[in-house]
Amino acid sequence: MRAQFRARIRLILAVVVCIALLIIVRLYFVQIVHGDDYSEKADRQFASGGSGLFDRGSIYFTRKNGEFISAATLQTGFLVALNPQIVKDPEAAYLAIRDVASSSSSLFSREEFLAAATKKGQVYVEVAHHLSNESGQALSAQNIPGVQVLKERWRYYPGGSLSSQSIGIVSYGSSDTLAGRTGLELWYDGTLLRSGDALYKNFFAELFSNVGNLLVDAKDAREGDVVTTIEPDVQTRLANDIAKMNEKYQSEESGGIIMNPATGEIIAIASYPSYDANVLQQVDPLALGNPLVEHVHEFGSIMKPLTMAAGLDAGVVTPDTTYNDTGCITVNTRKICNWDLKPRGVIPMQQIIVQSLNVGASWVATELGQEKFRDYFIKLFGQKTNIDLPNEGRALLGNLSTTQQVNFDNMSFGQGISVTPLQMIRALGALANGGVMVQPHLVSAIRLDSGVVRQLEWNQTSAVFSAAAVRETTQMMDAVVDEKLEGGKAKIPTMSVAAKTGTAQLTKPGGGYYDDRFFHSFVGFFPSFNPRFIVLLYTNDPQGVTYASETLNSTFLDLTHFLIDYYAVPPDRPTADFVKALSQPTSP
Amino acid sequence: MPFSMTTFCSGVAVVLMLSYVGLIAMVMSYAALTIEFSQSVRNDEAVVATLESQYLAAVARITSTDYVRSGYTVPVTKIFVPAKAVTALR
Repeated sequence: MRAQFRARIRLILAVVVCIALLIIVRLYFVQIVHGDDYSEKADRQFASGGSGLFDRGSIYFTRKNGEFISAATLQTGFLVALNPQIVKDPEAAYLAIRDVASSSSSLFSREEFLAAATKKGQVYVEVAHHLSNESGQALSAQNIPGVQVLKERWRYYPGGSLSSQSIGIVSYGSSDTLAGRTGLELWYDGTLLRSGDALYKNFFAELFSNVGNLLVDAKDAREGDVVTTIEPDVQTRLANDIAKMNEKYQSEESGGIIMNPATGEIIAIASYPSYDANVLQQVDPLALGNPLVEHVHEFGSIMKPLTMAAGLDAGVVTPDTTYNDTGCITVNTRKICNWDLKPRGVIPMQQIIVQSLNVGASWVATELGQEKFRDYFIKLFGQKTNIDLPNEGRALLGNLSTTQQVNFDNMSFGQGISVTPLQMIRALGALANGGVMVQPHLVSAIRLDSGVVRQLEWNQTSAVFSAAAVRETTQMMDAVVDEKLEGGKAKIPTMSVAAKTGTAQLTKPGGGYYDDRFFHSFVGFFPSFNPRFIVLLYTNDPQGVTYASETLNSTFLDLTHFLIDYYAVPPDRPTADFVKALSQPTSP
Repeated sequence: MPFSMTTFCSGVAVVLMLSYVGLIAMVMSYAALTIEFSQSVRNDEAVVATLESQYLAAVARITSTDYVRSGYTVPVTKIFVPAKAVTALR
């Protein structure tokens, strides 16, 4: 009995030993004999997590119907790496890679490739990136010795240059990790960043060692996708119009913002020149910022409606108040004149806006007094807008601290005060929003990886003017479109539009102003008394033209008609036919 | 049949062994499927990104088209939708 038991034990032992030997032999062949092959194959398939494919959340545009379109996402493809120690025919290898690479791939030049192949001390040199899946698989199938085809993932911007200065870029920078460096990529980096270990968690190990995190992961409340308020069709239209206008007048730069004045949602924001975020090799680093948020300008006469609203709000003038326009006045030994140097005589307040009279704006500023003027303009421009973009510029308000009246007169028509385009549209937005400034923003929500959509709140508002003051100012701006713009031809019979042009002289580096170089600006909102859109445009140093009405009228009107059509904005004015129909008795 | 400690322990050992092998298999399958699905999602996202790129390029092309240069004439008159239109007021 005992002998029989021993025999059985020995038999089982022998079986176990045999199995162990088989496994050891198999492991020897897998790891030692064919180890390199399997390693290379694994790299190609990228089934291991060791080298960590790049991962990052997406940024979305939002179409008018609420659909998302990617502004920044990930693209998957292949990179090609060379092992100079193994490669036998570098010339043939280069030709094979070049043949499959597409125009969007980045590939070493022939000279660079051959030079890399001579570095026999190295085993890994990346020679091509961003190959498509088809190209990568075709190259991999050729099994060229010393050429590795590895899976790669990279940041991709489907719109190319569309809103690139606001979306921003991802790059290595000074650290060794890919991270957002400008724009929304930087501002929302904490949300977009992915730790990259999610795929390789051992569920059971987590279960025993880290139950808390498995059930409630802090990352789930942080990591997600960013949903912007930018509408891609409107953004395209604005960018296209800005580019055409800039090219036509050979301006140094141009820009524009379209915003919802009631909420601060920025629907489009574009500047020219811009850049394609997918091709950064040739981009000037200085162009990576957003000039609409970072740069300050003297905007000229689009400041007059703010001066007028301040005067009306303070009660120092009414729409019926008149003044004697002499064409030119002398203040603190400095001469201030109307744009055409002509006097208008005794005229009401509305004409200051309609005819854009510097003498009139100075008169309102004088009536307002320095203290009140200072209070209003500090409310309007004294703080940053706190938009969700980095490096926001601060207004230059030094003249508000002086006591010379000429400085206040100049500021009343937009000279001697420099603000960012974003600050300007926020301040003018108060005229379109019952006197309340809103917080401009580009992102409406964060779509968390857990599936929850977290709406962001942008409720930092500031009341500046009374509703009555902005309504009276809006009526004056309404008359600009109905009576002045394009000689009255710009009037839209079914829609009220309030607007104002601005032409400022550019400052000289050593002080003073150029006589023949200008900064043009334009602001408008519609429907005038319940606006859905406010549009701000500017162009810096256009050639061969003096006034903003020459450069920006057509761009503004094109955008206005486009927005009315695209959003089917209902008319707010009855046409003559409608009035006639109303006056006729209806048949029973 | 009398109770045998050897049989009982053997049974427990077999159950534990099977459970262990089963757990390993499950963990491996879970990891493999997670990777596969994630990779699949990313690949699909890349395809969608390409389509979105084509869509945005089409929008840009339509926006920049000069219809007058393409042979179309500028409208002689423009008629604005009157306020009485029911559709416009919606």
